[in-house]
Amino acid sequence: MPPTIETQGLTRRFGRHLAVDAVSMTVPERAVYGFLGRNGAGKTTTLKMLLGLIHPSGGTARICGVDVVRDRRAAARNIGSLLEAHGFYVNLTGRENLDLTRTLLGVAATEVDRVLEVVEMQENARRRVSDYSLGMRQRLGLARSMLGAPPLLILDEPTNGLDPDGIVDMRRFLKQLPDRTGATVLLSSHLLGELEQTASHIGILSEGRLVLEGELSRLKAALTPEIEIGTDDAPRAAALIAARGVEAIASDGRVIVRIKPGEDARAEAGQLNRMLNEASVAVFAIGARPRTLEGIYRKVAGPGPLTRQPETV
Amino acid sequence: MLASLQVEFRKLNRSLAAVLAVIAPTLIAIFLFFMLLRDKNPKDWGEWMSTAAGIWAFFMLPMSVTALTALVAHMEHGPKSWDHLRALPIPRWRHYAAKAVSVLTVIALMSIAVPVMAWAAVSLGLMIRPDLEPIGPFEIGRYAGLAGQMYLSGLLLTAIQLWTALRFSSFVPALGIGIGGTFFSVVATSAKQGVFFPWQMPVNMLATEAWRVSTALGLGCGLGLVVLILAVAHLSRREVL
Repeated sequence: MPPTIETQGLTRRFGRHLAVDAVSMTVPERAVYGFLGRNGAGKTTTLKMLLGLIHPSGGTARICGVDVVRDRRAAARNIGSLLEAHGFYVNLTGRENLDLTRTLLGVAATEVDRVLEVVEMQENARRRVSDYSLGMRQRLGLARSMLGAPPLLILDEPTNGLDPDGIVDMRRFLKQLPDRTGATVLLSSHLLGELEQTASHIGILSEGRLVLEGELSRLKAALTPEIEIGTDDAPRAAALIAARGVEAIASDGRVIVRIKPGEDARAEAGQLNRMLNEASVAVFAIGARPRTLEGIYRKVAGPGPLTRQPETV
Repeated sequence: MLASLQVEFRKLNRSLAAVLAVIAPTLIAIFLFFMLLRDKNPKDWGEWMSTAAGIWAFFMLPMSVTALTALVAHMEHGPKSWDHLRALPIPRWRHYAAKAVSVLTVIALMSIAVPVMAWAAVSLGLMIRPDLEPIGPFEIGRYAGLAGQMYLSGLLLTAIQLWTALRFSSFVPALGIGIGGTFFSVVATSAKQGVFFPWQMPVNMLATEAWRVSTALGLGCGLGLVVLILAVAHLSRREVL
C-alpha cells in the first residue's frame, strides 16, 4: 500500500522566487499530518501543487500512488479539500451548495445528508450561506470536502479567523475525522497549539524547505530534556549551574537547563534545587519543561513570529 | 457536461444575475408604456417593435452583456470558488463551457423577453389609451427573426466580455471594456466601419443595406463562436494563482 501522499523534490518557482524548494514528504495512511510553517513558508503553494491547481517546476507528487501531474483527475478523485477561501455561493443554502459539488462529483444524493451529519449541520443546512457565521462556513467546507468519502482530506488553515468556540469545535471535528471517515488528513496551519492537539505526524516547512518530518510523539521524545527554574537571581543561578558542566541559559527571571538525554529530569531538578539553596539563591519554581511542538519548531525553524494558538478553554 | 450545466443554472437561483436578466427587458417595456401614454397619434406595430429592438441593440444588450458576464464571473471570483472547482476530478474546460452556455442561454431568454414584453407594455398602455390602437398586423415572425439576428450578431461581444470577466477577478477590466465599447458604439453610430465593431454589430441588424446585416451577422456569430472556443481553451489551461 503506497503512502497517501508522497512527494519527491517537489519544487515551485515564481520567477526568481523559490517558493517551494525540493520538498520530499511522506504522509502515511490514516495519519493527521500537521503541515506547519510561518505565513509565506510555502504551505499553500505545496497544497496547491498536491491538488493539481498549480504545476510544479520540478519533482513529483503522488496521491494514493497516482502522479498528480500526469493524471490530475485520477489523483483528484482521492482528495477532498477545504481551502482558505470557502468558495461558497452565498445566495444559496448550505444544502444547495453541497448539492452543487455532489452533482459535479456524480455521487449519491444521500451523501449530502451523511456529511451534514458528520459536521452536525443538519439543522442549519436550509439557511442561506450568507447568514452563516465563519465557523459554520468552515464546517460546511469540511462537509463539502468529505463528499464522496475521499481517502485524503487536504485542509488549509481550517481554524483561520474562527472565534474561540469555533476553534474548539473545529478541533473536535478534526480529531474525530480519521475515526469517523477513515480518511488521511493533511492539515496546514501556523497555529502550534492547534496542530499539537490534533496531529499525529508533523512536517515543518521553513522558507520553502521541509526541515523536519515525523511522528509527533517520536519527535517530542527525541527533544533534549530541559528543566526550568524560577529564581530571584537568574544570571548567578545560570553561572552556578554552568560551572557543573551543564548548559544553562538565563532569561526573564528564569533559567533553562538542558540536561543530557537519558538523565532523570526529576532527580537532576532536585540536585539543582539543593545546590542553589546552598548557594543562597532563592528558587520559587522548578520542574521539567514539557516537550512541546513549539520546542520542536523553535529548534528546527528558529525564532520567529509563528502564531501561538489563542487560549480558548 | 450535463451536470456542469445543471450546476451553472442552479447557481443563478436568487442571484443578482437573474435579477438583471429580468430588469433589463422590463426597463424597455416600462419606457414603451410611458411613451405610448404621451403619444398623440397611433403608430403601427412595426414602429413599436423597432423602437424596442433599437433600444435593446444600441444600449441595453451591450450593457446587459457587460453586467451579466461580470456578475456571473463574480460568482466564482468573489468567494474564490475557482480553486475548489478546478480541484475537482472533472475536466476544467467543462466549468468554463457550462458558464458560457448559461450566459448565452440567459441572453437568449432576454432577447426573447424584449419583443414579448414590448408587446405586453403596448397592450397594457392600450387599456388606458384605447385610441392609440396600433395600425397594421403584429408580425411575430419578423420580430422574432430580428431578435434572433441581434442575438447571433452579439455573440462576439458576449464572447469578449465573458472572456474578460472570467480572466480578471476584478470588475474593472470587464466593465471598462463594456462601457467603452458601448460608448463608442453610440457615438460612432453612423460610421461605416461600425459594422466591424463588435458592440455595434447587433445595431446593424436594423440597417436597410443588406450587406451590413449579412456582414455584421456573419462576423458577430462566426467570430463569436471562435472567440468562445479560444476563451474556454485558454481559461481551462491557465494557472489561477
